[in-house]
Amino acid sequence: MIESLQHFFANWITQDVMVVAFFAAAIALLVRGSRNERWQRAWKFMKGDRLGLVAGVLIIGYLIIGGLDLLKISPTTSVFDWLANAVVGLQDEPTKASYSAPFATHTFSTAKPEPLQFPGRHFLGTTQIGKDTFIQALKGSSTALLLGGLTSLIYLPLGILLGISAGYYRGWVDDAIQYIYSTIMAIPDILFLIAFIMVFGKGVGTMSWALALTSWISLCRLLRGETMRLTERQFISAARALGQSHWNIITRHLLPNVMHLVLINFVLGFSGVVLTEAILSYLGVGTPIGTASWGQMIDGARGELSREPVVWWNVSAATVALFGLVLSLNLFADSLRRAFDPKRS
Amino acid sequence: MPSRRPPLLRACALLLLSLTATFFAGCGNDPNLQPEHEKRADGSPWQVRYSYMPDDPRSLDPQFAYDQMSRRLLEPVVDTLLEYHPFKTDPYEVMPSLLASMPERVKNPDGTETYVCQLKRGILFHNDPCFPNGKGRELTVQDVEYGWKRMVDPKVECPALSSLQDYLVGFGEAYETAKKADALDYSKPLKCFEIVDDQTFKVHLLKPYPQIIYWMAMHFMSPVAHEAVEYYDGKEHPDANGKMVLRPAFKWHPVGTGAFQLVEYEPASRARLVRNPNYHTVVFPSDGYPPDRADFLKQFAGMPVPLVDEIQVTIFREQTPIPVLFNQGYLDSMGVSKDAFNRVVTTAQELTPEYKKRGVALEKDLDVSTFFISLNMEDPVIGTNKKLRQALSCSYDGQSYVDIFWNGVSPVAQQLMPPGIFGYDKNYQNPYGYDLEKAKRLLAEAGYPGGIDSKTGRRLELNMEASANGSEERQMTEFVQKGFEALGIKVNVVENTFAELLRKEDAGKFQILEGTGWGADYPDPENFYMLLNSRNFPPEGKNVSRYKNPEFDKLFDKMATMDNSPERLQIVNHLRDMIGEDCPQIFTFHKAFFTTINPWAQRTSTNMLLEGAFKYQQVDPVMRAKLQREWNRTPKWPPFVLVLLIAGAAGYAIRLNRKRNV
Repeated sequence: MIESLQHFFANWITQDVMVVAFFAAAIALLVRGSRNERWQRAWKFMKGDRLGLVAGVLIIGYLIIGGLDLLKISPTTSVFDWLANAVVGLQDEPTKASYSAPFATHTFSTAKPEPLQFPGRHFLGTTQIGKDTFIQALKGSSTALLLGGLTSLIYLPLGILLGISAGYYRGWVDDAIQYIYSTIMAIPDILFLIAFIMVFGKGVGTMSWALALTSWISLCRLLRGETMRLTERQFISAARALGQSHWNIITRHLLPNVMHLVLINFVLGFSGVVLTEAILSYLGVGTPIGTASWGQMIDGARGELSREPVVWWNVSAATVALFGLVLSLNLFADSLRRAFDPKRS
Repeated sequence: MPSRRPPLLRACALLLLSLTATFFAGCGNDPNLQPEHEKRADGSPWQVRYSYMPDDPRSLDPQFAYDQMSRRLLEPVVDTLLEYHPFKTDPYEVMPSLLASMPERVKNPDGTETYVCQLKRGILFHNDPCFPNGKGRELTVQDVEYGWKRMVDPKVECPALSSLQDYLVGFGEAYETAKKADALDYSKPLKCFEIVDDQTFKVHLLKPYPQIIYWMAMHFMSPVAHEAVEYYDGKEHPDANGKMVLRPAFKWHPVGTGAFQLVEYEPASRARLVRNPNYHTVVFPSDGYPPDRADFLKQFAGMPVPLVDEIQVTIFREQTPIPVLFNQGYLDSMGVSKDAFNRVVTTAQELTPEYKKRGVALEKDLDVSTFFISLNMEDPVIGTNKKLRQALSCSYDGQSYVDIFWNGVSPVAQQLMPPGIFGYDKNYQNPYGYDLEKAKRLLAEAGYPGGIDSKTGRRLELNMEASANGSEERQMTEFVQKGFEALGIKVNVVENTFAELLRKEDAGKFQILEGTGWGADYPDPENFYMLLNSRNFPPEGKNVSRYKNPEFDKLFDKMATMDNSPERLQIVNHLRDMIGEDCPQIFTFHKAFFTTINPWAQRTSTNMLLEGAFKYQQVDPVMRAKLQREWNRTPKWPPFVLVLLIAGAAGYAIRLNRKRNV
């Protein structure tokens, strides 16, 4: 049974369906949000925030690249691979090749410099085993997207459920939830993550669970406070007086009023996940071998920067790609925060 | 009345001056310790070699130490019965060390064998407080017997025991008895060791085992003075003044008969070995020189060893300081790391002009080892499908691997045995070496055309266990994965720590296991082909692939006890062909590396099996001192500018202070 399920989820068609469903759900959420008056006001503000818009466009660019790499057309080829290979003409070198500098025609300072199979076609050079650095840097966004997406899928519901429950029910529910997150917060994040991954093994799934278990707390605390504030407001008292059920009060009155906080937290949390993945990969406990990852590329720089002559293109490409996404996410989150700021209106 | 300088100001000026003086006094950049002495007793200069190693030894107990770092410090201190010739490496040859001559081999009518051994006379242990008056006593055959008894002492945990108990009479039995009694009775004789007189002993073997002479060249069979083991117990004892003093454990204070004495060892920092004044066990060989350096080596022929008086070994866990110190002349030689490779070695595998100009020599060393990928013969997918194993072997591009990760220095392994071992054929080509088209064909014949299982229609998925510590190892693993996946199959990599990998080896929980190899204990095909003998399954043995082939076992047993001969060569070739056909392992490379040597320390030994070669090393201290001065010449003006600046600043401060006090 478990094996069949594993086969089912490992199947590339199932994975494609899941990716499409994820994007569809995200778009549906945005469409639904656009009907909300508060979100409409925020969108009006954001249209005037040029920096936030540029950041948003960049994020969409990363999302498109990552999404195309997650969508497969065969078990080993993604839409991105197909576009890069067949349309743009970017390809990895065969196994015989090693490092080559950007636009080089031969391998870089090995014992025997060999001519490349695709000379002058590697904009950012190649890795130690002949992979095109430009492709690797772009494919890194799919790992970031996958990890950020999976982590969010786990920690957002958990943070929302526990945060609102603690703020709404208070009493022993609040005490219990506070006790749980205080205990987890007492463990340094990085130690917890490493221990979790060492026990359950490396993999994107394990990393997502590990990151989710440390990420829900900030959202939970934020929503707890906001819910406590909202429950004192008259519209909640009115709903109670009208005899509405707890479920209705939470889903119809509280949840829509905290969704902007969830959105800001999600965007900021996403950049945190991307950075943590890079740190964990640098420490050797990150994504598994064969996964394109900015952290792994930066980890490789330990040897590449100390060798003679220096191989600089891998670490540069990964750093720029990572920096671009994280900065964009932070700028976009800042723009969102200002757009939803009640003081502004 | 003239104003006097305030006392605080004078104190500050004095402090500044003394600090400046101290600063200039400590300006030397030589990190090595001051030598033990300036001159020898005859007035000639005291000669020191500066060496390094990448890690600490695990133990310096001759019956326990097994790793390379331990051997590097132990073997100059503890002599062996026989030792490897420092130059004869193809084939390797052993020569007498503590023994007066090579052991006399006697074949008994009942199929057993006896080796008659005679110790050299007049060999003294190191001068050490464990002996009366601190004077080393003469070595006797009882010391050899004591060392051999320590091998069967369960408390010592001798790693050679499992190999030797099959051949030495009563060896395993003595161990079992001691284990049951929880202690070895040292008063009882060993059945395999017969004392004839003070200098002569006989070794009794259950069956022919010519490899015993190689074991005699290892320190497991070295003599040990019981006084040293009893004295160095790691406990506190009163000294001559009644003060309690902690004595080190024997494993950190070896007392031998070797060319050097270990006088200082500071973990994670350094060790210092100083010449044993009583040493006269061997002299510098006068034959077997490599032709290209025979002229240079002839001058040392027959000279007493050690040639130098002191060896300083620094422990560098990080690579970074090594090239810096080598370039400054504070290290005599340096292994060329991958990172520094392109700066030191040209594409034609010669020294770069910069190093040639300095007079540096470049040596290529070939380790007696083979690395391989193990395929689990008990796995239901891989173990039962020979064509699949052959396909995997054909998809591994060994030459590219070596070019990318070993700078093209290490030779690609075509077989299990490395060069220099009897039976190694340099012209032999692995029938399932890299050939991607053949690999795809074989995979189709194995039932997986294009990587798809023809029965289920699913893509073949295999799991590969790898030790992936650090980005370099991960890249190596990814290279192997990429090669296998070129066949259209999927290979899932499971990353492990090295300890986890060894555990999985022992438990047999793997399909493909990458990143391990075998370094020779001794240069004999038996030491390599035992890796595939079915009696040698883990955890007791090292048949990691769990290869089981009765015909192989039968031939191996026959070959193991034979002397080198054309018949033995035929069997060795047959074993090689069987392994080549069955593919329980994919051979990757034989480890080789470059070493650079500064001009004052020309190499005087070339045998990688000889860790105790310090005694044959020489040095030209005059040339070293001259070149060190030249290479560390610093411009003279900065100190003067600094002094002027400090003096100016101090003068200004004094003037300012006076003005304020007027």
